Amino acid sequence: MNLWEYVEDRWDLILFETVQHASMVAQCVLVAAVLGVLVGVATYRRPRPAAVATSIAGVLFTIPSLAMLGLLIPPLGLGVAPSVTAIVLYALLPIIRNTVVGLRGVDATLVDAARGIGMSRRGSLARVELPLAWPVILTGIRVATQLAMGIGAVAAYVSGPGLGEQIFSGLARLGGANAVNSALTGTIGVAILALLFDGCFVLLGRLTTPGLRHG
Amino acid sequence: MADGATVGVPIELRKVTKAFPGGGEPAVRELDLHIPAGEIVVLLGPSGCGKTTTMRMINRLIEPTSGDILIGGRSSRDIDPDRLRRHIGYVIQQAGLFPHMTVAANIAQVPRMLGWPRKRIAERVDELLTLVGLEPETYRSSYPRRLSGGQQQRVGVARALAADPPVLLMDEPFGALDPISRERIQDELLRLQEELAKTIVFVTHDVDEALKIGDHIAIMQRPGHVVQYARPAEILTNPAGDYVEQFLGGGSSMRLLRLTQVGDIELDRIPYASEDMDARDLLREVELDGRGHALILDGMRRPLRWIAQAELEGVHGPVGDAGEPVTVSIGHRMTLQDALETLLNADTDVLPVLGRRRAYAGALSLGTVQNAIQSIKARERERRLRRGEAP
Amino acid sequence: MTVESAAAKEETTPEPRIGRSWHVILPPLCYLAVAAAMVGYTQAVPLDGIEHGSLNLTFLRRRTWEHVELVFFSTVLVLVVALPLGVLLTRRALRRATPVVLALVNLGQATPAVGLVVLLAVLFTIGFWTAVVALFAYSLLPTLRNTMVGIEQVDPRLVDAGRGIGMSAAGVLFKVELPMAVPVILSGVRTTLVLNVGTAGIAAFIGSGGLGDLITTGVSTQRNLVLITGCVLIAVLALIIDWLGGLAQRYLSPKGLT
Repeated sequence: MNLWEYVEDRWDLILFETVQHASMVAQCVLVAAVLGVLVGVATYRRPRPAAVATSIAGVLFTIPSLAMLGLLIPPLGLGVAPSVTAIVLYALLPIIRNTVVGLRGVDATLVDAARGIGMSRRGSLARVELPLAWPVILTGIRVATQLAMGIGAVAAYVSGPGLGEQIFSGLARLGGANAVNSALTGTIGVAILALLFDGCFVLLGRLTTPGLRHG
Repeated sequence: MADGATVGVPIELRKVTKAFPGGGEPAVRELDLHIPAGEIVVLLGPSGCGKTTTMRMINRLIEPTSGDILIGGRSSRDIDPDRLRRHIGYVIQQAGLFPHMTVAANIAQVPRMLGWPRKRIAERVDELLTLVGLEPETYRSSYPRRLSGGQQQRVGVARALAADPPVLLMDEPFGALDPISRERIQDELLRLQEELAKTIVFVTHDVDEALKIGDHIAIMQRPGHVVQYARPAEILTNPAGDYVEQFLGGGSSMRLLRLTQVGDIELDRIPYASEDMDARDLLREVELDGRGHALILDGMRRPLRWIAQAELEGVHGPVGDAGEPVTVSIGHRMTLQDALETLLNADTDVLPVLGRRRAYAGALSLGTVQNAIQSIKARERERRLRRGEAP
Repeated sequence: MTVESAAAKEETTPEPRIGRSWHVILPPLCYLAVAAAMVGYTQAVPLDGIEHGSLNLTFLRRRTWEHVELVFFSTVLVLVVALPLGVLLTRRALRRATPVVLALVNLGQATPAVGLVVLLAVLFTIGFWTAVVALFAYSLLPTLRNTMVGIEQVDPRLVDAGRGIGMSAAGVLFKVELPMAVPVILSGVRTTLVLNVGTAGIAAFIGSGGLGDLITTGVSTQRNLVLITGCVLIAVLALIIDWLGGLAQRYLSPKGLT
C-alpha cells in the first residue's frame, strides 16, 4: 500500500485528526496570546517585573516539551488537559518577550507626542504604542504557533488529540505494513498545517499593519 | 616621521570606463585624470556621479571595464589587487574600524600582512597615534566603539598611514562628523599633509570641504565624467558652465575669502617708525599718507602703538612712548574671511598684519580686501585669456 | 523586519547585566540542587521492583551519560556541517542559493521533531546512531541559519574596509566576518544544544537510551516516580546546558562589540 492509498483509505480519520490538531493549536495560541500580551503590557514599563516574567518564561521554555508533558501527567492525568496546558505554557514565552520588546521599541518621541496632544496613558497605549508594536507582537505569536504545532505532535504520547497519533501509531507498528505510511502522514500533515498557519500569519500581518511596512 | 617617509607618486587615469552589468549607462565614462604627486585631489559631485566608483577603481575594489590606471608610472593591472591595496591607504566614512579589535590591532593590520616584525609594528602604532594626536598610552588598547567619531576618524587615518603608503584614498571620511570636529580634523589633515606630502584622492559632496582641502578639484557629473578640473580659486572665479555654478550654489566671493590667506594678497602700507625715530620725519610721512595714523614698532619690528597725526604735531626729538597700544592685529595665516571678521569688530579702519615672529608685514582695511578679491578674479581671467579660452 | 533579522536581533540582545558573580553561579546551583534532591528522594523511599530497576544509581548514571552522548555527537555533527555550509552560502558565488536554503530551513522547522525521529526509525533502524542522525537533522537549522544571518549582518563597510586595506577574501572572512558573527553563531549553537537535549528525550521512543527512557518506562508501567525523575533530570540537563551556552556566549564573543 503506498502513501496515497493509505491516506485515501483513512481519509475521514486523518481529516478529523487534522482538524483536531489545528483547532487545539489555534485555541491554545489564542489563550496564550491574550495572556502573553496582558503580561507584557503589565510589565514592560517596569524593568524588574518584566525581567522576572521573561526569565520565568525563559526557564519554562528551556525545559524540553516531553519533560513538561511528563510532569503534567501526575496532576492532570492523560489526554487533553496536559497537552493543552503544556502548549499554552510554551506559547507564552515568545509572546511575552516580543510584547515587551515591541512596546519598549516604540519611539519615545511618539509616545511623548501622543501624551502631548492630550491622550491618556491608556489611550496612548491603545492607539499608539500597541499598534506600533503589533508587527513584533505578531511575530511572537507566529513563533508560538510553530512551537505549538510541534508540541501538539508530541502530545499524542500522553494521549492528546491530533495528528501526533498517526506518528505514534507508526512507531507502534514498527516493522509492520503501514508503519512508514502512518509516520509520514503524521509528519507531513503537521508540516503542512504549520506552513498553512504561517501563511495565514503573513497574510494577517499584511492586513493589520498598514503603513508600517517598508520594502 | 618625515625622514625616510614615502612621499606621493602621481596617478594617471586613462580613458577609464566602468559599466556595471545590467546598469544601463556606464557609471564612469572614458575618464582622463592626472593626479599630481603629493597633492590632494578632490573628486566632488552629487551622489551617483561616479566619484566613489572612480576612487575605488584606483585600488581595484572595482575593476575598470576598460582603460588603464597608472600609479607611479605602473599599471595597476600588473599588480595583485591585495598587494596593491596594502600599499594604498584607505579611509572611509565612520572610519570602517573593526569594532572587535583594539585601536592598536586595527592600525597593525596592514604591517602584519606585510610581515613586519612585532617590535617594529608596536613602535609604528605608537608613532602613528602620536602623529594623529592621540596619546598612545590611553588609546592603544581601547576598542573603537568607545571612541568619539572624531577620534575614530583619526585612528582611521593612522591605519591608512600604517605601512607608509605613497597614496591615500579617502571616501567621504569626515561625512558623519559634527561641524566642529570636522573642521578640526580637516585642519589636522592639512597639517599632516604638509609634513607627509602623500598623493591623496579625496571624495566628498561637500563643496566647502572640497575648496578647503583640495589642491585640485575635479567636479563630476552624472554619468561619470569630469566637467571641470581646476584649482579651487579657478573653480570659484570661473565655473565651467551652469552645472558647476549650480552645484557651487553661489557665494563664490565669500568662498574666495575663506580660501585666501592674508599673506597671499597684496597688503596695504602705512607709515611706521621705531621709538627712536624723529617725530618730525614721521609727521611728514603721515601727512603724505593722508590717513592720519602711524605705527610704532619695537626693535624686533613688532607693532607696539598707534600714533595719531595730532599727537606728532609740534613734537621735537624721538617719538618716545606716545600713542595708544595696539590691541587687535591680524596674522598672515588667517583666511581673509577671519581677517574681515576681525576688521569689522575692531575700532579702527586699518589693522596691522603680523608676519613671521609677529613682525609687522603690512596693513589691512576693507579696501585692501576688496582690491585683493578683484585682483584674484582679474588674475584668473588673464590666465584664461593666455590659454586662449573665452572669458 | 524579516523573521531572520528579528531572530538574530532578539538572540543577540545581551541578558541583563548582572554585576555580582554569584548571580551567574546561582541558577545552575539551584538546578543541581533540584536534581540532587530528586535523586536523593528516590534513594530514600521504598521502591518496588520496577521502580528499583529504573532508579538505581548505576542505571541513572548510564542513562544520563547516554543522554549527554546523544547531545554531544549530534551537536558536533551540526557544527561540522552547519558552520562550513553557512560560510559557503554567504560567499558571493553561492549567495543566490541563500533564499532557497533559508526557505528549506524554514520548511524543515515546520516538521515536528517527534515525526522526524519516528520516521527515521521506521525507515531505517532503531538505536543510538539513528537518533543521532535525527537530532542532527532537526537541530541543524538554528546553527546554520544563525551562521548565515550572523555573517550577512556584518556591516558591509567593514568588509569593504578589510578589502580596501589589502586583506584577501580569506583574510576578511577569518579576521572580520567570522569574529563579528560569533555572538549570533553562538546563540544558534546554544539553541541547537537545548533542542538536542529535548529531542534526545524523544529519541528514547526509538530505543536509543537516554533519560527519555525513564519517561517511557514511567508512563508504560504507570510509575509516576520514575516518570517524574526522568522529567526532572531532563529539565535540569537542559537548563544547565543552556546556562553553559550562555556562559560561552559571554566569554567567547569578541570584546569591543558592545
